[in-house]
Amino acid sequence: MKLFEKLKYISLSSRVSILLGIIILITMGVFTIFSLFKQEDASIDSICDNSKQLSLTTERILRFSMLKNRRDELSMAVNNIVGKEGIIAVRILNHKGLIKFSSHPWEINKHISQTSPEGTETSQLCESCHKNKDNKLEFDIKNFDRYRIIKEDNLIYNCQPIYNAPSCYTEACHSTYEDSVNKDIKYLKTKLTNLQGHDSSQTILGFIEIEISTKRVNANLEKTRTQLILFTIIFALIASIITYFSIKHLIGKPIKNLVDGTKRVAEGNFKHEIPPGKAELKLLSESFNKMQKQLLTTQNQLIESEKLASIGKLAEEIANEINNPLTGIIIHSESLIEESNLDGSNKNDYEIIRHEALKIRESIRNILTFAGGNKPDLKISVIDDIINHAITVVKKFSNFQNIKIISEIPRMLPNAFIDPALLEQVFLNLLLISSEFMPAGGILNIAASFFDDKNEIEIVFSDTGKGIPENILQKIFNPVNSSDLENFEKTELSLAVCKEIIEMNKGILSITSNESGTSVTIILRA
Amino acid sequence: MKLLIKILAIDKEEIILKSIKRALNSNDKEDYLITTCDTALEGLKLIRSDAFDLILLDMFLPGISGNELLRRIRNTYPEIPIIIMSGYSPKGIYEYEKRISLSDSLNSATGYLLKPFTTEEIRSKIHGVLKSSLDS
Repeated sequence: MKLFEKLKYISLSSRVSILLGIIILITMGVFTIFSLFKQEDASIDSICDNSKQLSLTTERILRFSMLKNRRDELSMAVNNIVGKEGIIAVRILNHKGLIKFSSHPWEINKHISQTSPEGTETSQLCESCHKNKDNKLEFDIKNFDRYRIIKEDNLIYNCQPIYNAPSCYTEACHSTYEDSVNKDIKYLKTKLTNLQGHDSSQTILGFIEIEISTKRVNANLEKTRTQLILFTIIFALIASIITYFSIKHLIGKPIKNLVDGTKRVAEGNFKHEIPPGKAELKLLSESFNKMQKQLLTTQNQLIESEKLASIGKLAEEIANEINNPLTGIIIHSESLIEESNLDGSNKNDYEIIRHEALKIRESIRNILTFAGGNKPDLKISVIDDIINHAITVVKKFSNFQNIKIISEIPRMLPNAFIDPALLEQVFLNLLLISSEFMPAGGILNIAASFFDDKNEIEIVFSDTGKGIPENILQKIFNPVNSSDLENFEKTELSLAVCKEIIEMNKGILSITSNESGTSVTIILRA
Repeated sequence: MKLLIKILAIDKEEIILKSIKRALNSNDKEDYLITTCDTALEGLKLIRSDAFDLILLDMFLPGISGNELLRRIRNTYPEIPIIIMSGYSPKGIYEYEKRISLSDSLNSATGYLLKPFTTEEIRSKIHGVLKSSLDS
């Protein structure tokens, strides 16, 4: 686990190359072990096959020498075989397991169990040929196991049966007299010289056992195993090194560029583009550069809005400073106008002072309405809630004591994408303006409707006031000249400001007026 | 016969107090007796010592703010009409209107007068406020 913990801190290319090396080592190791096992089996099979052929040939060659009981010939033939192809010994046994002939003379007349490696049970040895059927050991010619493989001692024993043949029991065999004339005499002589013939009922007369050493083959296998392991390690190492440098070049470098870019962005530098990579990395670098540009734009916008907000704050402070002396100028000029009825030229001068002071006042109000901080915060809003709230607010004002407010807002009016605070401000001021036009009371009607085809909400404020004369109505949205409208607008926010706010909310504000009342129509996007 | 209306104007700016006096003194309809002061504490003292028909109150006063003074006056004299004077600020107006709608009307001002104001505006505002307070 500690190794894995440490792996977290090394580079991606190193991690991938180490991982690849481990994978190659494991897969090739498994493959090597599997193939070595197969190879070992194949080698043993091959040795067995070769020894079988050899034993068959040997049996044929030796049969004649055995018939004639020519031990010298046997020895010569056997000695020729022994020592070649890993053959350690050749033995001829009778069916009871007694060694009748061996390339190792000291084994003659010993039982086979005495020459086998230590720990080999005699019963096992016998049962390899004689299957135990009904507690009776019988030779199973079809299923007998020709080979005894003892891996621990690197030995293979090949057992070739010597089948009984007519020549073995009918011919005058085992005789040293080749020029015998009479078969009967020969037979008798054979009997006399204690050289036994074989019983015709016997199937197997004995065995030729060839003892083969697999040491050389095993040594070769060991050598191959070492070579394969070495090859696997070298291959894994080379693959890891190639992978390391490839990843470092193809992935590591672009990632480093990306990391450097991210660091620069974190430090506030959005202007450095990272070089384009290839394939997916190209997409990544393009996305990164795009993100950087967007961040730069957003940052600029933020700076801009902060600037605007501070300008707004500054303007508000300046305006407050100006407001007091401006009040003095307006009031005193107006007093002078009232007092200087007789002197026409002076009165005109005072009128100019007052007029210009009112222009400054209007300019300040316009600046404060739109300078920073008052940007619309557009969100999905419930229009009828805003209207109802505005109505609740104005009902508390004394102006509304004699005004009847009729609200015709459908229940299912869709929501609009607007700034609710600014909209409420507009509604409040439209209601207040209406009340100014109905000093003696009247009816204020608020109607809202939704136009599905245009996806628009229309809100109409109509009153039964005295109306606005045509010449004033034309100038009503022009703030510079609004001092001319003072007899018609004594409210805090002018209609011009209301119009500006509605337009900031992507809406339209229009006004119609006649002697029987005024209607203000607001159209908003649903 | 002219009505004598006692008004208390509280503003830190002398020019505003002078202008109020100037605007209201040359009136044919009403006679105004205008008392002025430039701090909230002085204003409170005057209110306790005299009975005013109307108070003109600036929002930004040194020491105790206009809002705090308004609350204190309302606690003692809930019926007295108070007109708040303040510079134009769309947010300020919006918040003022919200406060009227949300809080108890006894704790809020009776009217709102924007600076800079004209003679006509201050007269009409005072007239309107007094009329509605008399009506109610």
